[in-house]
Amino acid sequence: MSHKENTAEVESSNMTGTEDPTNDEMLVQTDVSDGLSASTSVSETTNAETIIRADDINVWYGDEQALQNISMEIPENSVTAMIGPSGCGKSTFLRCINRMNDLIDVARVEGELTLRGKNVYDDDVDPVALRRRVGMVFQKPNPFPKSIYENVVYGLKIQGIEGDYDEIVEESLKRAALWDEVKDRLHESGLDLSGGQQQRLCIARAIATDPEVLLMDEPASALDPVATSQIEDLVEELAEDYTVVIVTHNMQQAARISDKTAVFLTGGELVEFDDTQKIFENPESQRVEDYITGKFG
Amino acid sequence: MARTEYQTRLKELEEDVSYLGELAAERVRHALDALDEKDEELAQRVIEGDGEINRLYLDLEQDCIDLLALQQPVAGDLRFVAASFKIITDLERIADLAVNLAQYALDAEQDVYTEVDIQRIGDAALDMVDQAMDAYSTEDSDLCRSVASRDDDLDTMCDEASQTIVRDLITGGDFEGDDELDAEESLVDVRRLLLTVRDLERIGDHAVNVAARTLYMIDNDDELLF
Repeated sequence: MSHKENTAEVESSNMTGTEDPTNDEMLVQTDVSDGLSASTSVSETTNAETIIRADDINVWYGDEQALQNISMEIPENSVTAMIGPSGCGKSTFLRCINRMNDLIDVARVEGELTLRGKNVYDDDVDPVALRRRVGMVFQKPNPFPKSIYENVVYGLKIQGIEGDYDEIVEESLKRAALWDEVKDRLHESGLDLSGGQQQRLCIARAIATDPEVLLMDEPASALDPVATSQIEDLVEELAEDYTVVIVTHNMQQAARISDKTAVFLTGGELVEFDDTQKIFENPESQRVEDYITGKFG
Repeated sequence: MARTEYQTRLKELEEDVSYLGELAAERVRHALDALDEKDEELAQRVIEGDGEINRLYLDLEQDCIDLLALQQPVAGDLRFVAASFKIITDLERIADLAVNLAQYALDAEQDVYTEVDIQRIGDAALDMVDQAMDAYSTEDSDLCRSVASRDDDLDTMCDEASQTIVRDLITGGDFEGDDELDAEESLVDVRRLLLTVRDLERIGDHAVNVAARTLYMIDNDDELLF
């Protein structure tokens, strides 16, 4: 089995190399030959601890406004939870970060959303390159009908990223706390794993391309309590190396695992964003208090 | 209103804690009356009634644990349950101190020293308990601070009383009673009187604790804690 392909439209630094994609150069549409664009500019000065900054983000789906004037700063190497009732826009905001909303024809995004100071909506930003830096894990585990090994290296292959795939697979599965359970059956189908294992496989797949940010859209809502606990433990561990932004309907989960919590309420409004402890012990907003204590309505 | 059952349980907890507060205050009132009137029967009732207080306290402790475990309260609800969990301990201790006072009423053969106005000190302490519980049930932060500020007055009253007792003991003051009362019995009575003053002061301290936890509950403000 060949683990090396070189066919993707984006070429960039080696996955296992020492270079960190810490500037906006990694975002832009790049040339196959050098992996860097001459047109990129150096990042504006940003707060060293802020990795993602939203400035007055508005999103419409057709005529319907899904997010209103969202401004927030997400600190790096932390877990930020997004909570709120269905339809409040929290998943929409998550999808703004890696431009997944681009895939929806009627979606329109206004405002600025920067990743390390570079607006990800700038014309010269390649969404595919962006998504390599901003990985995503979905509600329902969605491994490809391929082997465990092939699932992990899938993103590397389609992006033409070379490297020691065996090492990357082992490292990614270890970071996803799945290695010990699958190391002897790497070439069996990913679909044969349990739901919790499948979700950890998806996390391994997401981190194989060495992203800086992991977006998780209700990653444990389809899992049993034991698998949920494993994912929660994993999220906290992952925050040592990555910035995790997680959407959850489970407020206790947000309270347990996040450092910061953003509360979105109906109409696509970010009502309060603060340390998780503050939100759950003494929120500023009465609407947030009513929502998290169940007194809404 | 969502989570109706949960909201009902929170309301019931508030009512039950208030009831425990009323019972504790009533026991102090009865103990003071027993001291004042040498009413042995009333004193006995206070002592025997402590079991009821203890059972209610344990029930409320379990209610708080159940709410935390099963309903996972947050924000204002969390502070309410956490504060209530602490307040019931203070109320149970106040009732224990009422038992002490009732026991002193049984043990005291007679008034050993009339210059110390135990009833005045007791009324002040009891007022603080009543005010703290009012603050809790009406969520009145000003009342919480008022309870705390009154504690200095109570402490002053108690210090003065203790000093008077000790000074007069040293100078052979005007202990009333039988001339044949021997010195050892006098010492027992004086010690009991000092303990009475100390216990009334402690009732005030527990009232301040209730006010402090209530202020945290209302405003997330810990200024009165310690």
